[in-house]
Amino acid sequence: MTDTDQDIAVSQKMRPQDYILSLLLPGLGHIVHGWWRKALIFWALLAIQGGTLYLAILRGRLAWFAYSASKSPSEYWFSTSILFLLFFMVWVFALLDLRRSIHLRSEETYARGYWQIVARRFSKDAKGIVGLLIILFVLYVALFAPFYARGNALKMDLVHFLAAPSPEHPLGMDNFGRDVLDRLIFGSRVALGIGGMATLLNMLFGGFLGLIGGFFRGVSDAVIMRFLEIINSIPFLVLALLIISMWGSSIPTLIVVLGIFGLGPARIIRSEVLSVREEDYILAARAVGTPTGRLILRHVLPNAIASLLVVTTMSIGVNIIVVAGLSFLGFGVRPPIPSWGAMLQQAQEFMRTAWWMAVYPGLCIIITVFGFNILGDSLRDVLDPRMK
Amino acid sequence: MPGDPARVMAGLGATPATIEAIRVKLGLYEPFHVQYWRLISGLFNGQLQAMTYHKPVWTVILERLPATLELGAAGMILALLISIPAGLLSAIYRNSLLDYAVTTAALMGISIPVFWFALMLMLVFGVILHVLPVSGRGAVLWGWSFLTIDGLRHLIIPAVALSSVQMAFNARLTRASMLEVMRQEYIDTARAKGLAERVVLIKHAFRNALAPVVTNIGLQIGALFAGAVLTETTTAWPGIGRLMYESILRRDQAVVFGLALFMAAFYMLSYLVVDLMYAYIDPRITYD
Repeated sequence: MTDTDQDIAVSQKMRPQDYILSLLLPGLGHIVHGWWRKALIFWALLAIQGGTLYLAILRGRLAWFAYSASKSPSEYWFSTSILFLLFFMVWVFALLDLRRSIHLRSEETYARGYWQIVARRFSKDAKGIVGLLIILFVLYVALFAPFYARGNALKMDLVHFLAAPSPEHPLGMDNFGRDVLDRLIFGSRVALGIGGMATLLNMLFGGFLGLIGGFFRGVSDAVIMRFLEIINSIPFLVLALLIISMWGSSIPTLIVVLGIFGLGPARIIRSEVLSVREEDYILAARAVGTPTGRLILRHVLPNAIASLLVVTTMSIGVNIIVVAGLSFLGFGVRPPIPSWGAMLQQAQEFMRTAWWMAVYPGLCIIITVFGFNILGDSLRDVLDPRMK
Repeated sequence: MPGDPARVMAGLGATPATIEAIRVKLGLYEPFHVQYWRLISGLFNGQLQAMTYHKPVWTVILERLPATLELGAAGMILALLISIPAGLLSAIYRNSLLDYAVTTAALMGISIPVFWFALMLMLVFGVILHVLPVSGRGAVLWGWSFLTIDGLRHLIIPAVALSSVQMAFNARLTRASMLEVMRQEYIDTARAKGLAERVVLIKHAFRNALAPVVTNIGLQIGALFAGAVLTETTTAWPGIGRLMYESILRRDQAVVFGLALFMAAFYMLSYLVVDLMYAYIDPRITYD
């Protein structure tokens, strides 16, 4: 803590009533200070989560009250724990935010760090916020899928197979009489799960290659670049098809294939590292005698983080599309696991009779991928340090 | 690949002796490098047979190639015809309604899976409106279907679907590249000389902005093949993309191997051509 921090801490503290009100209901403490907008955000969050809790109780799927214990209660436990964790986090965030706001109010002007500038710029960028909201929505649905789906996405109803959309089944039934909406809800788990995990691997493996190649240059760079070019010369989807046809398709295989051979990020990270390593501050750090490992982790990587974030966001979208494509060809997620791509594969046969089977899964893919793409696009603008 | 090719060739209910005989005939017991050499040399001297077609691999690939070439060319031309003017206008009228429309449409375009787009086109124009045929290649003249009216009608849906991603991607690229060029000082100079705005934009800005776009066309050949696998499978277009998919399903390794090699070679060739064109478009670059 610096001297100035202590001054502020003395002059502006949380009063006891601030604590009590904020613990009583998140946002109540903000109201007293006149911060209506923040209070409304907290209440909106509480309302959304309250709605989820209500649904869970209504359908008897909240872990403790689940009356049919036979139907995968572990799934209910997962969603229930996440829900209560989110409730807890609203309380904690409200308290922390109130403390910070009171703290900052005492000081009329304060220097803003890079991330504060970024946050401020991002909050004014409608495009990015829409993207973030879309992603959060899909993520929310994926986390609480068992609460939102009416059935369990696998239950067949062979009497009502291929039934058209009706109030009971808003998006219709598929060829096995499974509710399309329920399958879409559970499909979000597959899309985000595989897309996210594959991107994580992409960034670890591809990021590592790009970092090594860009930083050390010379022989290691040449070897890595030739490797990338060889992989690149076969279209990625075809390469993935070939490998999966050899290894057999399962979700772990998909993640590994997409994660290891999806080397698009490696190139971008390499070119970013190439430009960062020429900066004067790297030279300065080198001159002081910083060991190489530390130089990479503490000086190069943090300065390349902006483009890393953009690449990560966009890669998730790309991976979701590729997984859908592979599943569509029958080489991705296998039935009966509900996935958007595999649903489209089934829909192909029933185009003339059941359009709802083909339209809705595609819309889900587009909306999700669009969310990641506009968020990435906005991050690219917002994170650009040259833009003031 | 899992699944024994000898078993596939022998068919259901084959005796172990038959399977064994086929294995010996295929040379599956020979050392790895011998098999590999036979694979490579067989590909070029025509001894490598496509398992299911009983024809040399090259013949099978070349029979299917025109379909993909015309689909890819049609898709690429369509994409360039729409995306370059769109990106250009979007950059010139920056932050206008048109610009927002183009950028949003382009972002949508890169978010749409091609196979779903193809399905939707089939649903709307084929199943609901009955104006376009939904699958196959239609009438063929001298191996090309764009020479007949019927073939042309069959070409529309797959070509439009295939072009969607390229269109979106190129529009974004043209816009970004154009904006970058318009920031350069020589544009200010050209304006200061009193040149007409049209001349500045087209002769000075656009020509320089085109270089990265052209470079990327070569890089997109790979994506085009990947798109062709999906589009051709969806619309039953009998090209090499569909051949790839069918051969993987049938475990016809010879064809799969030949196709992978062909796609890689084609990609590298187009990459080379683009590299040479680059020097033509941008006189600052020379190959000594």
